[in-house]
Amino acid sequence: MSRFFSSPFLVFSSAIALRVILLFYGLWQDANSPLKYTDIDYYVFTDASRFVSQGLSPYKRDTYRYTPLLAWLLLPTTWSSTWFSFGKVLFAIGDVVAGWLIVLVLRGEDGKKMGMERALKFASIWLLNPMVATISTRGSSEGLLGVMVISLLWAITKKKIALAAVLLGLGVHFKIYPFIYAPSIIWWLDNEQVNPEKAKSTKKKGGSIVDLAINFCNGPRIKLAIISFSTFMTLNTLMYTLYGTPFLQQTYLHHITRIDHRHNFSPYNTLLYLSSSLPFLPPTTTITATQPAVNLNLESLAFIPQLLLSAVFLPLLLAKKDLPSTMLAQTFAFVTFNKVCTSQYFIWYTILLPPYLSHTNCSLLTTPKLGIITLTLWIATQALWLQQAFNLEFLGLSTFVPGLFVSSLLFFSVNCWILGIIVSDIGRKVVVGPGRLNARGESETRSVVEGRGGGRGKGKR
Amino acid sequence: MRQRITYLQQPQDSVDPKLLGVTSNTISTKKLDAAREDRVTFGFDELPQELYRVLKASHELHVRWVSRDAYDTISPLVSRLSPGLHAFYTPQRNSNNSSLLCPTLKKVFGELDCASPEESFTKLPVERFSLSAATQYYSPLSTLNELISYLTHKLCKNTDAECLSRVSKLNSASTLDVDFDTISHALTITAFWPYQAWDLSIKNTANHRLEVGILTVEKPTQPEELSLGGFLTVVGEDTKPSPTLFSFPARHHPTTQFFSSAFLSPTGLHPTLELDISSSKAPIEEGSCSIHAHLTLPRAIFADKYQLSDSLFLASKNLSTIRYITTPVDLEAPAYTMSIWGSSLLLELAPPKPKDESWTAQVPLHLRYLLPNEGKYGQERLEIPYPVVFWACTADEGSKFPINPFDKVNLGYESLFGGRTMFYHLDPVPQTTDGVEGGELINTLSVPVLDLGKSKYVEVGTAVVVTLGFAWVLWCLFGVWRREGYGSIKKGAETERKNK
Repeated sequence: MSRFFSSPFLVFSSAIALRVILLFYGLWQDANSPLKYTDIDYYVFTDASRFVSQGLSPYKRDTYRYTPLLAWLLLPTTWSSTWFSFGKVLFAIGDVVAGWLIVLVLRGEDGKKMGMERALKFASIWLLNPMVATISTRGSSEGLLGVMVISLLWAITKKKIALAAVLLGLGVHFKIYPFIYAPSIIWWLDNEQVNPEKAKSTKKKGGSIVDLAINFCNGPRIKLAIISFSTFMTLNTLMYTLYGTPFLQQTYLHHITRIDHRHNFSPYNTLLYLSSSLPFLPPTTTITATQPAVNLNLESLAFIPQLLLSAVFLPLLLAKKDLPSTMLAQTFAFVTFNKVCTSQYFIWYTILLPPYLSHTNCSLLTTPKLGIITLTLWIATQALWLQQAFNLEFLGLSTFVPGLFVSSLLFFSVNCWILGIIVSDIGRKVVVGPGRLNARGESETRSVVEGRGGGRGKGKR
Repeated sequence: MRQRITYLQQPQDSVDPKLLGVTSNTISTKKLDAAREDRVTFGFDELPQELYRVLKASHELHVRWVSRDAYDTISPLVSRLSPGLHAFYTPQRNSNNSSLLCPTLKKVFGELDCASPEESFTKLPVERFSLSAATQYYSPLSTLNELISYLTHKLCKNTDAECLSRVSKLNSASTLDVDFDTISHALTITAFWPYQAWDLSIKNTANHRLEVGILTVEKPTQPEELSLGGFLTVVGEDTKPSPTLFSFPARHHPTTQFFSSAFLSPTGLHPTLELDISSSKAPIEEGSCSIHAHLTLPRAIFADKYQLSDSLFLASKNLSTIRYITTPVDLEAPAYTMSIWGSSLLLELAPPKPKDESWTAQVPLHLRYLLPNEGKYGQERLEIPYPVVFWACTADEGSKFPINPFDKVNLGYESLFGGRTMFYHLDPVPQTTDGVEGGELINTLSVPVLDLGKSKYVEVGTAVVVTLGFAWVLWCLFGVWRREGYGSIKKGAETERKNK
């Protein structure tokens, strides 16, 4: 087993083989079974591409709620029936590239942060994950987001600011949610990161708010902000010029106006169904009779805890400690507190799991018992929900309350608990142990020594 | 006002003309076994003001009501539609005043979920020379009681016993049609009663034209033709019935085939409507025939055209292709936020090898979320009208189908076919397996909805759990901040050192 993980060739060929097998299996199943392997969304993308290839708007396809870039990217799928699978191949390649980037991120700038074997083991959480491989070979574009996010992380840790900025702008244009990474990256990109020497010299100057502000606006931060924002806006302007209001409506505004009443993992789900129906309910029902005339519209406040956590508190308190793990926590918080939550969203944070799990502070792995309990609870509450959803969807039982309602709240609670663990882990001092590696990219002993040395040096000045 | 009353008889029941009593203003006989069609045509000046105003703004308006009780058709009146109230409407080109239509329909027919043609009607495909109306509407109206009381008050004078009895007879009618178009400038109301014994006694009270025909279906000489023979009497003019025999090419024909439809159980949120069809053999040997199902789907239920585009999937359900589906059909919205009536769907079926054996086809459908309810255990009953199933066969080159005196157009599906298509209709047989709904051409299903009785704590429960979850994460963050501040861990180590 250890020999397997010590060879990048073996791990990557397995990852590729897994995807090739799934791709061909999918082709076989699609050709021979009325039940399709291919994801419904893939038909949406490829239909949209067909419209584009005819010089029409991709938004002529109902439920196409993505950037036109995706339809453009999949234009080869319109060439012939063989090329139809192009998108899946592309998504699968994206997956493998993302896996390679995970290895690079884990091994650090100079490749010394972590041994290859350990890096490959953790990267395999993504690379050899059957769920990840299935989702991309079925033709879901979530994996593509994975590549964007991990390359953003790779670029920023390599201090390739311009590249990172373009990726950030592109990611937000693609799926909105990566905007939460902007505050953490900006906050992380302090003088200590940019120029450790200068950081020490400016440190003593600091005092007035103006100084702090000037200090805050270092070159890379400004560069990142300007480039990412202009990438985002350029893409939007281009798409708006080409496709007009449908582009704005489908890719962005839809997410504001949608009701999202159909059952999903979100804790708000039952409430959304209930409140969307209130204006239409006859006044004689007990709920309309007893409820105050003014509906509190709690669901419209849902974005407050979600954004406060994922875009403000988590970046502010954690980003400087461990950027990759903070990005995981942010994504986890965003998905957990979202008004809609389906299992495809779990891919968003799966890509960021390896950096956190490989951290020596990760109590889920250092305390195996905790890890097992966490995983069990995460799966069990999800299974409970799925069973209730099955009863509703296929057996026609009214399991909205208490079944789906309670199980989604349980799943939410477990997620919050996990988030708490991640947060505490990121915020804990690195456990000292011979030969172990920490998250910051240096070997443990080295970082501790340097940290102390640095501290002393500063203290003296 | 002109009236035409037609009795249609099977050959073995045909009446002896000697038994018909014709006087100067009546016609009568006992025990006439026949189906009956009444057609009354009104001029504009004979209509109530409110109807006149609606019609003036219409280019054409066709209302088709079909009873949910199963009934037998008879040649030439064999075309069918799903039970309920259908409206096909084209507004007058230069008039934007369609706002009166829905209120008037409600006033005449009773409680309909109709806001305005713009909001509630769906568009039909309009080709250049299409005979069909531009928009469509449907409501699962089950009785004509409101219409009867409307006509009683607006049409009949209190003393006119003949009018009152004719109108009240509508409560046993199987179909009712209201037709108007600008060209004819007249409103026609047509009602149909299935085969039964009639004690015929018709009086021409006013001096309007009243024609009574007693006709028998004869064997036609051409396959696309229907033939009728019997007697026509213009009451008040003729002194005796005059014999007649005529043939005409007809688009709608009967078959001996039949079908029933039922939802496969469990229905869940993705119910499958199964059509059980008595034969897979085309009704005529010559010409090419294909069998179709036309579904009228109220907004709570819909078909996903994207799902129905894969040939393997379709074949596994004995379906061939979607010939027409209302566009657009929202695939996500809950039923209660929509104002459109629903959608219609024309499917070509794929029968197995032609045999005189019954076979089934499955139509996969999807349910929208419905309004929560209480006291019903979270289940809501939904009624879906039976579909219409027919063979569409292409007539010989050169066949023409001029409008015949019994023709029905604007059925919602016939304009989706070419001009030379003939329709061979299958008789719908109500499902009896569940034993609950004997005799109705309705498929029922139970839709799971949120039970309001159990939902009292949904809002507060969600709020409490989300707040606790949020607070827990904040608490963990607070712990981090207290121990290590907001900076990097190294800094934390440093301050600790300094403090010492």
